[in-house]
Amino acid sequence: MSADVPEWPTGLAAALADAMAAGAAAGGAFSTARSAALDAAEAFPGEECDLLDASGLARAYVPERLGGVAGGLPELLSALREVARRDVTVAVAHGKTFLGSVSTWVAGTEDQQRALARLVTDENAVVAWGLTERGMGSDLLAGNLTATPEPDGTWRITGEKWPINNATRGRLICVLARTDPAGGPRGFSLFLIDKSALPEGAWEPLPKEPTHGIRGADISGLRLRDAPVPADALVGGVGDGLGIVLRALQLTRTLCAALSLGAGEHALRLVADFAVERALHGTRLALLPLARRVLGRAAASLALADAAALLGGRSAHGLPGEMSAVSATVKAGVPWIVQQAIDDLAELLGARGFLTEQHADGMFQKLERDHRIVAVFDGSTAVNRSLLISQFPLLARLIRKGSYDATGLAAVTGGAPLPELDPAALRLVSRTGCSIVQAVPDTAERITALAAAGELPPRAAELAALLAERTGALADAMAELPPTGRNAPAAAFAVARQFEACFAGAAALHLLAVPCAADRAVVLTAALERCLELLVPGHQAPSDAFEPLVTPLVQPVEEPVR
Amino acid sequence: MSDITDAPATADATEVRAWLRECVATYVRLPAEDIDENLPLSEYGLDSVYVLSLCADIEDRYGIEVEPTLLWDHPAIGPISEALAPLLAAR
Repeated sequence: MSADVPEWPTGLAAALADAMAAGAAAGGAFSTARSAALDAAEAFPGEECDLLDASGLARAYVPERLGGVAGGLPELLSALREVARRDVTVAVAHGKTFLGSVSTWVAGTEDQQRALARLVTDENAVVAWGLTERGMGSDLLAGNLTATPEPDGTWRITGEKWPINNATRGRLICVLARTDPAGGPRGFSLFLIDKSALPEGAWEPLPKEPTHGIRGADISGLRLRDAPVPADALVGGVGDGLGIVLRALQLTRTLCAALSLGAGEHALRLVADFAVERALHGTRLALLPLARRVLGRAAASLALADAAALLGGRSAHGLPGEMSAVSATVKAGVPWIVQQAIDDLAELLGARGFLTEQHADGMFQKLERDHRIVAVFDGSTAVNRSLLISQFPLLARLIRKGSYDATGLAAVTGGAPLPELDPAALRLVSRTGCSIVQAVPDTAERITALAAAGELPPRAAELAALLAERTGALADAMAELPPTGRNAPAAAFAVARQFEACFAGAAALHLLAVPCAADRAVVLTAALERCLELLVPGHQAPSDAFEPLVTPLVQPVEEPVR
Repeated sequence: MSDITDAPATADATEVRAWLRECVATYVRLPAEDIDENLPLSEYGLDSVYVLSLCADIEDRYGIEVEPTLLWDHPAIGPISEALAPLLAAR
């Protein structure tokens, strides 16, 4: 039965968890004291990255056919989330190599892919991704770093990229460079530059920028001065840069969910442990109804975000043509949902949530700061919501039609092995909309039937019907918005948030519709309940809606000895 | 975009041009007659990412597959219509 259930791959994540636990237990890498000290000193987590190198994390950045791990994007999400559960800063510092490499997987030649795969897997080469420049904001076409062709087919590159994660530590950096002085969507190209092959004086690092969160990460920049770059550094064709970057971002934006989920789970664990320890009013915090409600709701938020991330990651393999919609939704929605959980948990922790040396070496305030940056990476929440809004006219039409890619959706929501990720199948704009959302009414009917047959709790059927109704209302709200070329109105952003919640709820719904163990059905039902809270102002969840998620978090808990 | 979801039985560059004009006019909230067919769409605020949604509209209306970069290579309504003509003829 469980073979039919789509699950997170756990092989690499489990190996990483063991290695990190061993390091922490010895008071070394990944111990809370060390994480706190590195954060306070704004020092790079070098030993931590070495430990991850030794545990094979880099193989998750490389396609399977080039020597990478087998599980594709879900495996990478699962592995990076495991790291983020311990320390978001380390996950950001190490995971960047995937971002630097992904353009080559999307558009590189076979030779380019093999050469990069070898550097990443055999030498743990650090690869940065240089898109942004000072003063250009999120506009990919505002960059001034320029590549000029030489008569012999090589290139000369001059300009700056900033602020860039691992710009200084990275041996390689993939840069978006202007190749047509006039710019425009065909005016930019990608180059994978090996800094170690550049002559002295052709490049210099720009200083590390102090940051509010991820303080230890190498957030710096790179200045190139007439840097000579070989012909085979060009990734894709001249003028293909924007299209490659937009498709690469579909994968990296989805991956950002791993950072959010890890941070959220870290927060939940810290606060649950605190609630078990904390004695007050002659009892334990974990036994007070209000505290239990907060813990349970946070757990349900994380279960909802987990469902969105799981089906989002699987969509890259099973519904690659829809990733323009899916990735923007996941990138905006998951950090939004998780941030609310972290905010609620912070209230339960009270003052300890702000103290840097109390309760687990101040890990909560660190993860809280670290998590805020996730909403900024790879296009801010506003950028991703704009991308989503630009697709509203088609999405609204397809929700109303109820049409979707049934074959692709079955690959994403079923338990059969996923097809290998085919970057060539990623499209700049989805033709079939977002099947996960469009299929809500059909899947809701299946849930109703399963509940009638006693295979799911009756509440699941009620929630499924509510979600189907809200999905229809969402399509109406999307269709009523005036189409916009840019500068979407504030009302459109509120509708985008609803779409994100609806997508996450839809993901939980599809997972509920496949035969699963009873405890999984309970968690997914609670996730749906949380989704309806987000979608419907004033939605009244039953008082015990989240309670089943609390018990496993706070066991064992006893009344304090008086 | 519009409520018209069924592709017209026949479509040529002229029909596409008129329909695109209306699309763009709706996006930028101007009368269709004020839309210049030879002015780059970016001049109307349809940037390189937003113009991709126009590609989805075209595919949905005419039931054809359009490589989205066609709208980058042909940045105004007139050239887009010419580039779409062979795709429409091959339907």
